[in-house]
Amino acid sequence: MSYLAHRLIRAVLLLIGVSALCFLFTEMAPGTFFDEMRLNPQISPETISALRSRYGLDQPLLVRYGRWVKSALHADFGYSIAYNVPVAPLLWSRAKNTLLLTTTALALTWLISVPLGVRAASRRGGLLDKAVTLVSSFLVSVPELVIAVGLLAAAVRWRILRVGGMMSVDFEGLSTWGKLQDILFHLALPALILVLCETAVIVRHVRTSVLEVLDAPYVQAACGFGIRPGRVLFRHVLPVAANTAISLLGFSLAGLLSGSMLVEAVCGWPGLGPLMLEATLSRDLYLVIGGIMFSSLFAVGGGLIADIMLLALDPRIRREGSDAQ
Amino acid sequence: MKRIAGLTLLHVCLLAGACFAAKVIPEAAKPGEELARMADVSGRYGGHLTIGQRSEPKTLNPVMATDAVSREVIGRLMGDLIEINRSSQQTEPALAKSWKISSDGRTFTLQLRKGIRFSDGLPFDADDVVFSFGIYMDEAVDSPQRDLLIIDGKPITVTKVDQYTVRFVLPRPYAAAERLFDGLAMLPRHLLEKPYREGHFAQAWSLNVRTSEIAGLGPFRLKEYVPGQRIVVERNPFYWKVDGENQRLPYLDELVFLFVGTEDAQVMRFEAGETDIVSRLSSENYNLLAREKARIALQLADMGPSLEYNFLLFNLNDLGAKKLDEVAKKQAWFRDLKFRRAISAAVDRESIVNLVYGARGTALWGNVGPGNKLWINQAIPHPVRSIERARELLRSAGYKWNSAGQLLDASGQRVEFSIITSSSNSQRMKMATLLQDDLTHLGMQVHIVPLEFRALIDRVFQSFDYDAAIMALGGGDADPNPEMNVWAYSGTSHLWHLGETQPATDWERELDQLMQQQMVTLDYARRKKLYDRAQQLIAENLPFIFLGTPNILAGANSRVGNFHPAVLDPYTLWNADELYVRTPVLENAGVR
Amino acid sequence: MRSKTASLVAALAGLHLILLFAGFVAPYDPATQDRELPYAPPTRLHFEDATGFHLRPFIYASMQVLDGDQAGSYQEDRTRAYPVRFLVRGSSYKLLGLHGASVHLFGVAEPAKILIFGTDGYGRDEFSRVLFGGQISVAAGITATFIALLAGGIFGSVAGYYGRWIDESLMGVTELFLSLPWLYFLLGVRAFLPLHLSALRTFFLLTGVIGLIGWARPARLVRGIVLSSRNRNYVLAARGLGGSDFYILRRHIMPKALGVLITQAALLVPQYIAAEVTLSFFGLGVSEPVPSWGNMLSALEQYSVLVSYGWLLAPAGALIITSVLYGYLADALHSG
Repeated sequence: MSYLAHRLIRAVLLLIGVSALCFLFTEMAPGTFFDEMRLNPQISPETISALRSRYGLDQPLLVRYGRWVKSALHADFGYSIAYNVPVAPLLWSRAKNTLLLTTTALALTWLISVPLGVRAASRRGGLLDKAVTLVSSFLVSVPELVIAVGLLAAAVRWRILRVGGMMSVDFEGLSTWGKLQDILFHLALPALILVLCETAVIVRHVRTSVLEVLDAPYVQAACGFGIRPGRVLFRHVLPVAANTAISLLGFSLAGLLSGSMLVEAVCGWPGLGPLMLEATLSRDLYLVIGGIMFSSLFAVGGGLIADIMLLALDPRIRREGSDAQ
Repeated sequence: MKRIAGLTLLHVCLLAGACFAAKVIPEAAKPGEELARMADVSGRYGGHLTIGQRSEPKTLNPVMATDAVSREVIGRLMGDLIEINRSSQQTEPALAKSWKISSDGRTFTLQLRKGIRFSDGLPFDADDVVFSFGIYMDEAVDSPQRDLLIIDGKPITVTKVDQYTVRFVLPRPYAAAERLFDGLAMLPRHLLEKPYREGHFAQAWSLNVRTSEIAGLGPFRLKEYVPGQRIVVERNPFYWKVDGENQRLPYLDELVFLFVGTEDAQVMRFEAGETDIVSRLSSENYNLLAREKARIALQLADMGPSLEYNFLLFNLNDLGAKKLDEVAKKQAWFRDLKFRRAISAAVDRESIVNLVYGARGTALWGNVGPGNKLWINQAIPHPVRSIERARELLRSAGYKWNSAGQLLDASGQRVEFSIITSSSNSQRMKMATLLQDDLTHLGMQVHIVPLEFRALIDRVFQSFDYDAAIMALGGGDADPNPEMNVWAYSGTSHLWHLGETQPATDWERELDQLMQQQMVTLDYARRKKLYDRAQQLIAENLPFIFLGTPNILAGANSRVGNFHPAVLDPYTLWNADELYVRTPVLENAGVR
Repeated sequence: MRSKTASLVAALAGLHLILLFAGFVAPYDPATQDRELPYAPPTRLHFEDATGFHLRPFIYASMQVLDGDQAGSYQEDRTRAYPVRFLVRGSSYKLLGLHGASVHLFGVAEPAKILIFGTDGYGRDEFSRVLFGGQISVAAGITATFIALLAGGIFGSVAGYYGRWIDESLMGVTELFLSLPWLYFLLGVRAFLPLHLSALRTFFLLTGVIGLIGWARPARLVRGIVLSSRNRNYVLAARGLGGSDFYILRRHIMPKALGVLITQAALLVPQYIAAEVTLSFFGLGVSEPVPSWGNMLSALEQYSVLVSYGWLLAPAGALIITSVLYGYLADALHSG
């Protein structure tokens, strides 16, 4: 229990640290929300400064931070300057859509990467192995944006998937099954892009870890003893090779909210991505900070789950209590 | 027999479809309702059109909205007293059917149309007008549009004369004052008075507003908002314009704004037929779509040069207080008119038009281009590019070249400076790269520094920590008045030298006088003469080195009728009330 | 196995040599614009003409079609053939950045141009740009990866080995690094630095920033492995025999993490090269007219370019080849 208490304290410290650094970084960055209006010759600087003080943007950093912390403790994370609505409900309404996309992509990625990586490693040098290395190198080298635009172009050209948004215009009129189908069809493209980019990385790591273990003497011994390959794999190889995979899973979980920003923006998926991207570039301060705090919750959570899994799966780590200096 | 059965089936389906879709039917004209008749407009009722938007609108509040995307939606929901017809660029009566201007040009008495109703059926009269202007001018509301109604530091006064007459008094005469009314939406007092009195007007009409709480005088009214995806607006049954056959506009049942994202995604979705209209295409995308014309039924429009002007700007600000020695040293070059003239002579404007705008653009030598037919000064020379002339100018200004061909100033310092530009605007980035290459022919070493947009604004307006920048202005309206703040010496957009308390040069003094004069001159011919001289001064003294302007390019599906894009914003939706769908369905009924 | 590794090393060495001698191998200067030839497709090499087969290939000059509905496309001007010559004199360059030279591996007589990968939007030879671009990109990518992995490896090992509060605080720092709004940090860095940075400074900035942001992931991965290795029998034995922490880390534990680090390296190098695209948005990348694979790839983010001018995918192709070779090398190193 004290382990969990430790992690809770750490999480709180992290949130405080993130919020403070957020405010600091946004202060460092030049420009404010209303700068776009400066280019308009018909708006006077008095109006612009009046708007700035209305949103408290002309207050010194510490005052703003203090105010924000005080209201955050009351679950009020401020207003979005652009939308003029409270930050938290706005974030949550989009975060739902993002989580739908990312959890689907996560599940698919891991369901594909692990068996693929294991298979490629166990038949080392075979056709599958070569294909995996080649394709993953390819996918890793091309920037995600180029892959996304390319796939989007292909989908549009060949009319295979529903492109853009989460629901069709006539969504309300569909049956429940129709609604589900509609969302799935729209989900397919962004999820595909995410799965491709993530799988490339994870399958390589899985493959390397499994390869390492396969070379170990005890595995050779187990095979020599006549234990079935399946049993060797699941009982002896995978638990050991899982170390890196678990850390990577932690990263995947940590990135559930923030990892799909680009894909959502390109495919028009109504998640947190386009909202945060625009808010960040337009300096919509409280929306940005709210979004980052939300994401860091996931970062903490991901790390926690990964650590728990590491502890559970690898008894050697648990031994630390008695033997550490 | 089969034919009749087929027809019957078709009609039953149509009827059923109509019931299901619950379309809004235009109201029959009420007696006493003074409608605006658009004599040469015709079309057919029915259907919906989809248009893609680059990002999501932020609010539906006309007073607080500042971004172009929100304004695009709001403009379809709201009506103005006087409108600027984007095609002719002239003002037209709208909610005000006529107006009288006093002889001194300061008093405008507007007659409102009688019997007009908001989109929720409630009547519109002078009280709504006075209420609306009260909000725009209320300092506590901080509307950006307030500045339009302040002339010479004093606000316009608005008084109700009777139920359908309103009087506006300007503090002093203002040329083309009727143009001010375009874009100032008339708000429903019956819905907005309460939030205003309670002090939370800024939060009124956010995107989550209930359809019963928002009403306007535009051709459409809000139907549905799906967060992050689309806004659907439906026909306003009480819209006060009718077409040539006295049918109440708009023709469309619905207009759907789809949040599509990047321009590339817009083009792709348009190609796929998911959106019907795409406006402000880049020339590459335009040419791409032109090649697809065989495959998809499209109509593409190249409306000619826009009103925006792209330019190279040198930092001539007073840097005394700030410690920017590096920049200050270079200002000795920038302030020299011959230096700027040399650069202007060396710029390859033809390549800018060909390589940046794909030949769909125009070179500029002044701030008013051929797209602004009413105000362009045709007498301004368009000198051909000449490196020799540039070199001659530099030589006569005391510059020389060393053995390596590098340009040195009179004191032997190497001429080297940076040009900043917005990294998100690929066209200006391209111009920068072309300019950099052009100036190497003069022996200058130029560095290109792409900056994020707001970081750029900060340097140009706030810190003055830059050498030169490539930016764009203009495009708002054809009339010179919106540009006052650029050319007046104390103007807030006087980019090359902000914060002047007195004119820094003689020509700036003359320019300021000209601009102030044209602002109060009511006669067009006299104004044109003044503004012509202003353009001449600008072109001769080069506070900006003008580069070029893109053409306005737009596209629509063939089934969009009355598609007449314009050079002024909103390029394709300014006549949304006249757009209609050329439906193939009804045309083929019974032909089988 | 041996010969495979040897051939891989040879291929990589060849690649790096070509990049190193880009000035010689490339027929043109990467910054020279030709405004008559924007977006020209690759020049076709011909071996046969009316007089028969020739061993020496030749090309025709490219001309832009100016009017009609084919405007903007190119055709060959068949009035004159230009044979490809080797070891020709051309634009001057600095061999290895030191010595001036002007001999190029191959070229054609003026005014024709041999454009192996076509041209970009300013008429600059894409092939030359890919070669020169590789210099800075590969160097930056490798250096940034090295920094990230070194920092990550050290922090991860320390965290994993000592455990307890050192582990907790270091892992807390990685979580912090993963959550922060790096966009604003980059904007701040840009605002703080002078507008123009020399090529060397840009290089250090690129590698520094990427390394700074990138160490968190490898750190966590290494820490996981170290955690499970540190209580193994041989480690306890080594400790019992009096080995210092540093010795144990270096000799017994780090080799375990090597696998992860090598795989990470193979994955990170191309990612970091591509990351320059994002950095250019903030003005922190390599600026015009100097080419780098990163800033050349940013042109591909436009749909119209991707679809119409496929030869501009050359830097992506080069990046893929490099990353595949490094991937195979990582693999070979790991097992061999």
